[in-house]
Amino acid sequence: MMTLNLAVRNLLRNRRRSLATLLAMAIGSTSILLFGGFSANINYMMHTHHVQTSGHLQIQHDDFYLYGSGNPTAYGITDYARMIADIQNDEVLRNMVLVATPNLQFGGIAANYAANVSRTIIGNGFVAADINRMRLWNDFDLSTRAPPSALEGAPADAAVIGTGVARVLQLCDALKIVDCSRPKKEDKIGGMMLPDDIAQLSLLEAPAKAPAAAGSPPRIDVLVVNTQGAPNVTSLEVIRAEDQGIKELDEVFLMMNLAQLQKLIYGKGPSRTTSIMIQLRHSYQIPAARERLTAILAKYSASQPLAVLDFRQLNPFYVQTMQMFDTLFGFVFMLIGGIVLFTVSNTMNTSVVERTVEIGTLRAIGLRRAGVRNLFVTEGALLGLSGAVLGVVLALLLSVIINRIGMPWRPPGNVELMPFTVTVWGENRMIFGTTFGLICIAILSAWWPAHRAARLDVVDALRHV
Amino acid sequence: MQPITLNLVIIDNAGRTYFDWGQEMADLTAGKAENHRPVAVLTQVEKTYHLDSISVPVIKGVDIVVRRACFTVLLGPSGSGKTTLLNMIGCIDRPDKGEVIVAGCKVDDLTDDALSDFRANNIGFIFQNFNLLPVLSAYENIEYPLLLAGASAKKRGERVPRLLNAVGLGDKAGNLPGQLSGGQRQRVAIARALARKPKLVIADEPTANLDSQTGASILALMRQMVDRYQISFIFSSHDPEVIKAADDTIFLKDGAIEGIRRKGEKVAEGAA
Repeated sequence: MMTLNLAVRNLLRNRRRSLATLLAMAIGSTSILLFGGFSANINYMMHTHHVQTSGHLQIQHDDFYLYGSGNPTAYGITDYARMIADIQNDEVLRNMVLVATPNLQFGGIAANYAANVSRTIIGNGFVAADINRMRLWNDFDLSTRAPPSALEGAPADAAVIGTGVARVLQLCDALKIVDCSRPKKEDKIGGMMLPDDIAQLSLLEAPAKAPAAAGSPPRIDVLVVNTQGAPNVTSLEVIRAEDQGIKELDEVFLMMNLAQLQKLIYGKGPSRTTSIMIQLRHSYQIPAARERLTAILAKYSASQPLAVLDFRQLNPFYVQTMQMFDTLFGFVFMLIGGIVLFTVSNTMNTSVVERTVEIGTLRAIGLRRAGVRNLFVTEGALLGLSGAVLGVVLALLLSVIINRIGMPWRPPGNVELMPFTVTVWGENRMIFGTTFGLICIAILSAWWPAHRAARLDVVDALRHV
Repeated sequence: MQPITLNLVIIDNAGRTYFDWGQEMADLTAGKAENHRPVAVLTQVEKTYHLDSISVPVIKGVDIVVRRACFTVLLGPSGSGKTTLLNMIGCIDRPDKGEVIVAGCKVDDLTDDALSDFRANNIGFIFQNFNLLPVLSAYENIEYPLLLAGASAKKRGERVPRLLNAVGLGDKAGNLPGQLSGGQRQRVAIARALARKPKLVIADEPTANLDSQTGASILALMRQMVDRYQISFIFSSHDPEVIKAADDTIFLKDGAIEGIRRKGEKVAEGAA
């Protein structure tokens, strides 16, 4: 108590220097926390996006994740409707699961015969109402909301495509896509890109089709391979093109109603899905839900090997991105920690030199070396604590201001401009970790000057001018 | 214990001689004259300072006995070794050779921590520049040694005001050193030195930074403290007033004792 009292007063003695050190620490702490808050926000955005679009957990055929992209329909799950019913009725999962919905992935070719163009696509069949329910998930209270899918309430043969698909299929005008470039030699490439099989199928389909009315949504034809290995074509009404953010994805994206897709692939036979997406109320429920799911799925696994994968396993890019941010956070912490270390060390060294006679006096009247060392270390710790706490307060204030301003920016892979936000409030682990880390650095910085002060010879110290 | 011959005669205030030339240290430590045991005994003490490649002997085989409850002054020109001797008696410096016994304890062998504790319990310091802790009030400066000793709040609450009153600063308890005059600061320093009822108070030129009037009042105060608390004071000083007030005066020159004078007597020649 005596040491603490004396340390506080010594810090207040040279207010300007203490304040300068305090501010250096506070600014350092604020910088770390704001960066951490930004990183946290990116995490929440990505986390939310993945949970909204593909759920927390997915039940898949055991090999689908690694090999399914080659032939998705070969890894279909049978009995999926019963599985979903079991999940929804399970007494444990009932309180955790918000949405359990099937998804069927496929690969195929989409064509716009009117323009004589086609391209390969990777499509998904969803239950549109479930997809829109999933898009409401916002456990982190983000200010931005995912727009509802246009598929809900649309005709059964409706489809949503990526703007890249629309561009390649020359549907920009029909879909009224702004900033959509057109090929410069449009007239010369006509007919050259249409594969023969598509062209023949087109001829078969074409007479049955009525010409699209002016202003009505454009139609595309989608070729898939059914479960018997035969090609199957359906005509879909493109109700909207949505930018997927990433060019590679945008140029293959197609989304349609599950029932329509199942009819196309499985015909009148028993339908399957490539996954069951499960969205939970909260992300922390993943381990418990997975454990319960594994138990429920045991009775289905006899006929088909099943796996339960969480969204982190399904989206390694998300994990890599967050690992990158964690590394950057550590790097920033180290840089700022280094600055804090030298700032506090310099302050404490100056203090030791200035107070040499005082140290000699304290030692003469009976204070042990450890007492002197404790005094200076306490001063360093107090500086660290005050600077870190001030930094937390500043970071919280600044985060409120930054979030209010909502400066627009476009994160990589994002379509829409997002408000630049940082999440500091509630990031207790980061706040306490940073505070504790900076206090440790401050103590470390004060340790050497304190040790030097403690080792001073009493006579030399008293003689110091 | 190896007999050590003392080279100093000390007569107490009552006029009793209890050390004579040639009296052995064994007699001293055997408690034959318990009431008159000296508070500090330095035997054949030597100290050399090393400045780069130059060795400067500052104390050359000095023997000193400091009487209990007496004013002892070390007198000598600059460089005569007064401060070094005070430092060794005050246990903040160690001799290169010889033996230092303070308050009956052979301090040479104590560890640094033990020596710190010993100083805290037995020795008070008064410095030329007062050396008060600038961030503590007069009250807190006096309280500090008691806090170091782990004294209870009750004990501190009783002792500190009493000391403040004793040095005439009862109304300045809350003042910081910067708000006190030089004389007042030295009074606080005296009170601080006496806080733990030490057996010995070391004062290095305590009146050097004070005007003559203030210096005289400080001297009177210290004299009063000696009489009241039966504490030994040992000074280094050039101040004639201090020398006049001393019970024993030890004359130093070039690191050796040139002579000793007890109050009212002439200098004993050839003491060193």
